[in-house]
Amino acid sequence: MLILKRDFNNFLLQLSDGLGNFDNVIVPQISGNNSSFFLKKLKKETGEKINLTSYRSINPVKYFLYPARERVYPAAESFPKNIIIGVKACDLEAIKILDKALLNGNFVEPSYSRLRENTLIISADCEEVSKTCHCSLVGGKPYAEEGFDLNLSSVYDYYKIQIGSEKGKEFFELMEKEIKEKESSPEEERLIRDNRKRIENELLDVNKGYTRDKDYSKLRNANEESWKEASRNCVGCGACTNICPTCYCLILNDESKYNSEKFIKVRSYDSCQWFGYARVAGGGTPRPKVHQRFRNRYLCKFDYMQSNFDQIGCTGCGRCIEACADFRQVVQNIINKAEQVTK
Amino acid sequence: MQNPYEVIPCYLYEIIQESPLIRTLRLKPEKPLHFKTGQFVELSVPGIGEGPFTPSSSHYLSENLDVTIMKTGFVTEYVHRVKAGDTLGIRGPFGSHYPLEKFKGKDVLILGGGCGLAPLRSLFLTMLTENKDYNSITFCAGAKTPKDCIYKDEASEWRKYDNVRFLRAVDMVPKGEEWNENVCLVTKLLEKVQLHADGNPAIVCGPPVMMKFGTKDLLKYGYKEENIYLSMEKKMYCGFGQCRHCVMGKYYACKDGPVFTYDKIKNEEAIWE
Repeated sequence: MLILKRDFNNFLLQLSDGLGNFDNVIVPQISGNNSSFFLKKLKKETGEKINLTSYRSINPVKYFLYPARERVYPAAESFPKNIIIGVKACDLEAIKILDKALLNGNFVEPSYSRLRENTLIISADCEEVSKTCHCSLVGGKPYAEEGFDLNLSSVYDYYKIQIGSEKGKEFFELMEKEIKEKESSPEEERLIRDNRKRIENELLDVNKGYTRDKDYSKLRNANEESWKEASRNCVGCGACTNICPTCYCLILNDESKYNSEKFIKVRSYDSCQWFGYARVAGGGTPRPKVHQRFRNRYLCKFDYMQSNFDQIGCTGCGRCIEACADFRQVVQNIINKAEQVTK
Repeated sequence: MQNPYEVIPCYLYEIIQESPLIRTLRLKPEKPLHFKTGQFVELSVPGIGEGPFTPSSSHYLSENLDVTIMKTGFVTEYVHRVKAGDTLGIRGPFGSHYPLEKFKGKDVLILGGGCGLAPLRSLFLTMLTENKDYNSITFCAGAKTPKDCIYKDEASEWRKYDNVRFLRAVDMVPKGEEWNENVCLVTKLLEKVQLHADGNPAIVCGPPVMMKFGTKDLLKYGYKEENIYLSMEKKMYCGFGQCRHCVMGKYYACKDGPVFTYDKIKNEEAIWE
């Protein structure tokens, strides 16, 4: 099914105007003069800034499903109905991890589960590659094959729409009332396939020189010196964990009044890169040194998450590389390291 | 589905000052709290914060709950300022428990020191309720000095049972303090008791260094790795395996533990830190 891009963008503005009863229509929008994109609430005046087909947004989707700060007790009674458009395959992978961590454990994170239920996700194929993109190194693809409600693939002035869920089908029916559609021709289908292939090749090109290891559990055996070397310029700021689409570590703050009988608990992001993380009463901490905390993060992503979730915790989005004050290609270094260790 | 963040207000009806740094809070939760011995709860002082503590009372009492807490950090500083009549909050219970069914008919050894006696008192009191189900129960408890000894007034009560032995040791007796029981490291008590290691369980809780050497000694006496139960208390922040503060490699102290058998975690890193 093909729809005109212009029609779809207008339809998004209609949604932000109240059609479909969404509280927030969240779309990647060009930020400033540069070529990066922020997932932001769509407003009428920002209509021209929509860009659905470039590479992933600066902010990960987790910000809208698992906010940085949220009151969890007493829990909110109602949650907004959101639609997020232009989500990339790497962020869909990240949502898979968040689902495994926050929904399928012994306990269900109450507000994540409500926001997840209330959020419609429309993904879009990547049409561009950033120099930090490396999904090809972690087994990912620059287009989504599952995990979306609807998916968009660009072809000329059209989007090809693919339905991925019951929720997506209902939304499509709403869209059909507003937008004219047409069937795609074999030629257009071929163009979409070619485009996907082209982006995959670009990714390989951006990441040539880096290799992927099949078994990251060997990272555990790397000696301490090599971790010190890898983390030499790390200042432990925690930017990488805060922007990581799969990091979900939290702290729970008590915001009740002193001596009150009404309890209020607020959850915020924590970072394993901070000294105070996991510190116990009396001041003891299992990882007092920067390189130990650095090591913990990479083992968590590449080894522990593999054992716990059967999936590594890196989706190749490259946000941590962008956010790192040092801007070294840390992740790629680590990916290579697993190989070096075993040589 | 239970909201894991739900806080149950608890009325603090009595405080027992066990030692200069350790006190037992006796709490009455607003609704019964059904925990299994070995599980922990998150105890909040309103406006200050919360921390993970294992109840020290029998799990057969769900109306009341004792929690024994040492003053060591920020939250516990305030725990030591609360007064009878105050309201505290509890989330939980969380985590794994002692598998009592596996202890039945066995010679059970309990080894603990300092504030690590708190979960062990819960286990011990729970087992006393049906003490005949166990062949014997030996409880070795340690403290630094006689003044640091906790649950002092309960020892004579605990020694009334035929198949129960309760031994105490202090590391040293400072001048002016009296003590007529053992003076040695708690692990040395193992030499004094007739141990029947073969297939029997040993439960250990205490300061990390005591747990480390206690475990080593037990292995030396022939206890099997899978029969040594350790209470790995870490910084369990959320209680349900999401905040990741208490990870030990791929395990979480809060949901896979806090009660682990030694064979399960022996290859994980920094378990004694």
